[in-house]
Amino acid sequence: MIEFKNVKKVFLNGTVALDGVNLKINDGEFVFVVGASGAGKTTLVKLLLREEKITSGKLMVDEFDLAKIPNYKVPFYRRQIGVVFQDFRLFEKKTVFENVAFAMRVIGEPAKVIKRRVPTILKIVNLQDKFDCFPTELSGGEQQRVALARALANNPRTIIADEPTGNIDPNMSLEIMNLLIKIQKKNKTVIVVTHEEKLVDYFQQRVISLRDGRVIDDRTGGMFNAQV
Amino acid sequence: MRKYSITYFIGQSIKGLWRNGIMSMASITVLMSCLAVMGSFSLLVININYNLEEIGVLNEIVVFVETERTELEVVDIYNQIRSLDNVNTVTHITKEEVKEEERLRFEKYPAVFKLIDDGGKNPYPDTFIVTYNDNSKVNTLQFNLNNIKGVENVRCNKDLAKSIDEVKNGIIVIFIWFLVILFVVSLFVIINTIKLGVFSRRQEISIMRYVGATNWFIVLPFILEGIIIGIVASGFAYLIQWYSYLYIFNTISKDFQIINLIIFEDVRIFVALGFLAIGVVTGIIGSSLSLSKYLKA
Ligand SMILES: Nc1ncnc2c1ncn2[C@@H]1O[C@H](COP(=O)(O)OP(=O)(O)O)[C@@H](O)[C@H]1O
Ligand SMILES: [Mg+2]
Repeated sequence: MIEFKNVKKVFLNGTVALDGVNLKINDGEFVFVVGASGAGKTTLVKLLLREEKITSGKLMVDEFDLAKIPNYKVPFYRRQIGVVFQDFRLFEKKTVFENVAFAMRVIGEPAKVIKRRVPTILKIVNLQDKFDCFPTELSGGEQQRVALARALANNPRTIIADEPTGNIDPNMSLEIMNLLIKIQKKNKTVIVVTHEEKLVDYFQQRVISLRDGRVIDDRTGGMFNAQV
Repeated sequence: MRKYSITYFIGQSIKGLWRNGIMSMASITVLMSCLAVMGSFSLLVININYNLEEIGVLNEIVVFVETERTELEVVDIYNQIRSLDNVNTVTHITKEEVKEEERLRFEKYPAVFKLIDDGGKNPYPDTFIVTYNDNSKVNTLQFNLNNIKGVENVRCNKDLAKSIDEVKNGIIVIFIWFLVILFVVSLFVIINTIKLGVFSRRQEISIMRYVGATNWFIVLPFILEGIIIGIVASGFAYLIQWYSYLYIFNTISKDFQIINLIIFEDVRIFVALGFLAIGVVTGIIGSSLSLSKYLKA
């Protein structure tokens, strides 16, 4: 379970990016996080990844208190979270297979496990025919699916996607969202930051709206509320 | 227990060094020069010491006996020297021994020696090599030796010893400064090489962090790069040292036969291990300094 209690994030330059955020996200939930540019969505993601530390309040993810977790434990915490970005962040010189395998290799998975597991994951994201392709040979949607496969590689409890469809063809966006729903059905918590009003309404999931670093709306069943 | 394969890390390091080829070469070259200079200085100092011992100018007084003294008188002089204060050892070199030594020295000029042999009379003096304990009382000793009846001449090299010592200390001071500067330059170049490596792999590193790679996993290839730079640099420095020493050795032993040089084979193990240790430590320090940011969080 993820719990924000009165979380405030002030950057070094004084910008208040999040201001008293209270949220509870249960295991296996699917939530959209919406809001205008600069509302604090990415900051929320960075706090969850412990890329940034909260300024005050309390942020708990399962048994981890993110304000108190020691540096050396952070990598182990991050293994429970898979993350996807707007710009994919794939290795252009590695094949699809290697891109996914990379995530497993860096946490020390044995080659045998990698060989067995990577194809399974690539199948989940429907890329079973593209093992040996390089990212440049793929469409944006396909690249994002590789990134998603990489996020899934270490079997995390939570998937966080920061504007995953921001850089891809609108026709492909639906497919990515469908995949994220499919992943949630596999009993993972899925947090999707997005701008895509139509998709949010289509999927009828919980929507958390941010404005100026505050939660201004939190409801289930669509209703893109960023402009409220 | 998960297994990290060492070949992965070494592979990563070699790839990294290869990618920043020019910087890696620069690091290796500078570190190598540093080691070679250090080695040359050390060998120079070792050889100076060795030769000083050979010549025996330190803590040593040479006493020449008047040539016309009889063997009995010489024995008496020997006993008198032994009984003096501050004397450590006394070595007697008979006039015959001196003559044979000199004959060897003039081996190439037998004509000179023929004159001496033909003269029938040994022109060389009985000689005592006196070593002493206390440098500060050497003047008294010299005075006492001069006062012994039958002593022709006392040669004391204390001034020479002192100036040689000063020269030696001067060399060592210059050497240390030179080394400090070279090591700073080496560190600087290595730090920048590794930083460049980190920079060119920043995307990879950021993804590693997102998927939960530990810090040491991220950092180890770079530390290994430092170690490899150190190993390669010390290897080359060793070869350079070896060949340049051999060259100098051959030149000097041919042209300046009085100078005795240490044989490289006698010190090669120290040179090799010294280079390796200093090279590797410098590499590790350099890479750790450039990674301090990453070692923290
Ligand atoms: N590293 C940072 N330093 C200072 N201000 C930042 C930093 N990152 C984000 N901000 C500011 O925090 C606010 C929220 O940013 P962000 O979370 O990226 O918004 P969103 O993702 O919703 O567009 C913005 O005003 C942004 O300029
Ligand atoms: Mg953002």
